[in-house]
Amino acid sequence: MSASHIIEVENLHKWFGMLHVLKGISFAVHEREVLVIIGRSGSGKSTLLRCLNFLETPSAGIITVSGDSIECIPGKKIKQSDILKLRLDTGMVFQEFNLFPHKTVIDNVIEGLVTVKKMPRKQALTVGEKYLMKVGMLEKCDVHPIKLSGGQKQRVAIARALAMEPKVMLFDEPTSALDPELIGEVLDVMKQLALEGTTMVVVTHEMGFANDVADRIIYVDLGKIVEIGTPEQIFFHPEDERTRIFLEPIRKVQHV
Amino acid sequence: MSLETITAGSGPPVDPDIGMGHDLMAYERREKTIHNIKISIVWIALFILLGLFLLALDFDPKYIFQHFEFVLAGAGLTIGISVVSIAIAAVLALLGALGRLSRNSIAQGISGFYVSLIRGTPLLIQIFIIYLGLPQIGNQFRILGYPGLANLFTLTAIQSGVLALSVNYGAYMTEIFRAGIQSIHHGQNEAAAAIGMSRNQTLRRVILPQAIRIIIPDIGNQFIAMQKDSSLVSFMGVWEITYRANRLARVDSKFMEMFLLAAFMYWILTIVSSWLEGRLERRMARAYER
Repeated sequence: MSASHIIEVENLHKWFGMLHVLKGISFAVHEREVLVIIGRSGSGKSTLLRCLNFLETPSAGIITVSGDSIECIPGKKIKQSDILKLRLDTGMVFQEFNLFPHKTVIDNVIEGLVTVKKMPRKQALTVGEKYLMKVGMLEKCDVHPIKLSGGQKQRVAIARALAMEPKVMLFDEPTSALDPELIGEVLDVMKQLALEGTTMVVVTHEMGFANDVADRIIYVDLGKIVEIGTPEQIFFHPEDERTRIFLEPIRKVQHV
Repeated sequence: MSLETITAGSGPPVDPDIGMGHDLMAYERREKTIHNIKISIVWIALFILLGLFLLALDFDPKYIFQHFEFVLAGAGLTIGISVVSIAIAAVLALLGALGRLSRNSIAQGISGFYVSLIRGTPLLIQIFIIYLGLPQIGNQFRILGYPGLANLFTLTAIQSGVLALSVNYGAYMTEIFRAGIQSIHHGQNEAAAAIGMSRNQTLRRVILPQAIRIIIPDIGNQFIAMQKDSSLVSFMGVWEITYRANRLARVDSKFMEMFLLAAFMYWILTIVSSWLEGRLERRMARAYER
């Protein structure tokens, strides 16, 4: 694989029962790149993202993250240790935040450092505070998630993923569960990360964000990549008719 | 009126209709108090009716007072047996639940068999099998020349009681633990997996702490049931509440007096337990209060 590729996906297939959700997807994510995946509900874009860190086990294909490859062949068991290793190179932010409700904000952020990386608690707290500061949530350090707004929860979830210092951040519709007035604060944090050169793969419906921040955009439909290109190409000069038809009504609403 | 005059002084501006809110609160409080008083009256009335009913019979309250201490002396054993048994049962239930949820076919098979067999047979029979049946196996070992093993199968009455209650309640509580674990949103598993936690770490640090909070009321319920089921160990001559009451009742033919006294003691025990459970529940809810 190319040295500048953080992620490489080769001929990825995913079946749910008899439903063929991903039909042979291949692409690569470059270092320091922001790659945005767009597509209709049910197009397979979230499944695609979740296959990258094996929250969904691919039915077939090769996933390479930071040089370590896992090959999936139907009927072959994948070693749990390989998956755990791959997950350390990826950070994930979920639509529903999925913070640990029984832990305080700071304990959410340092959980992985302490249990997975075996970092001493004191050192972990320093790292955790650094990332809470980055997302502007340091003052909520000692509260439990229930006391936070959706936007605040998502920022803490981003800090929790960042604290593990992964090579690439995966975002699965990070603003879709938020009230409209809270979307901005989360997108601002993500823009900041992008400016700092964080490698990111983002599944989103926020076309404004995609247009401003993405280096490349992938349009997925019916389990296949229809088109890959710069925001300029995808939004204004789509090569494929299906891309244009998908984007036209959205662009009217979201003013891209 | 300018904005300054409204917000003058410290704190946010006062709602001019604040009195309405106070009135509504006072009304709700009054309604609730009246409701609670009515319930208390019903309880008192039921107590009086019960008392009259008993006095109408040939009931001897003096006998109760005279032998109160003798029966009460068994409360320690009742509580002790229940506490130890519920603790062991919880461990068995956790293992059972993990087995039922495991992908390992052996673990799943064993735990399914355990729950089915134990839930499908009466507690009293289980007590007899452990207390009276197991020594027969012990005898075989004695004949074969393994006295150590033989002793292992010959349990005292209290040991048999604790073992039977633990194993029996462990089976019921397996289902409680399983349901509790399954009730935790799968997003919690995914979040833990995404930061690289193993299945064991996720279970220990993310799933169980949340599941246990949810099942505390059910465990409390089981504990209350167990305190009463512990009366079955009186069949083996353990000097707990039921055995002591039964003994006197038979000697002096004071059945109503003694069994009512025993019943009353169990009642008090369960009231105290459910109060303690409520406190624990509120304590564990702290992280979830807005």
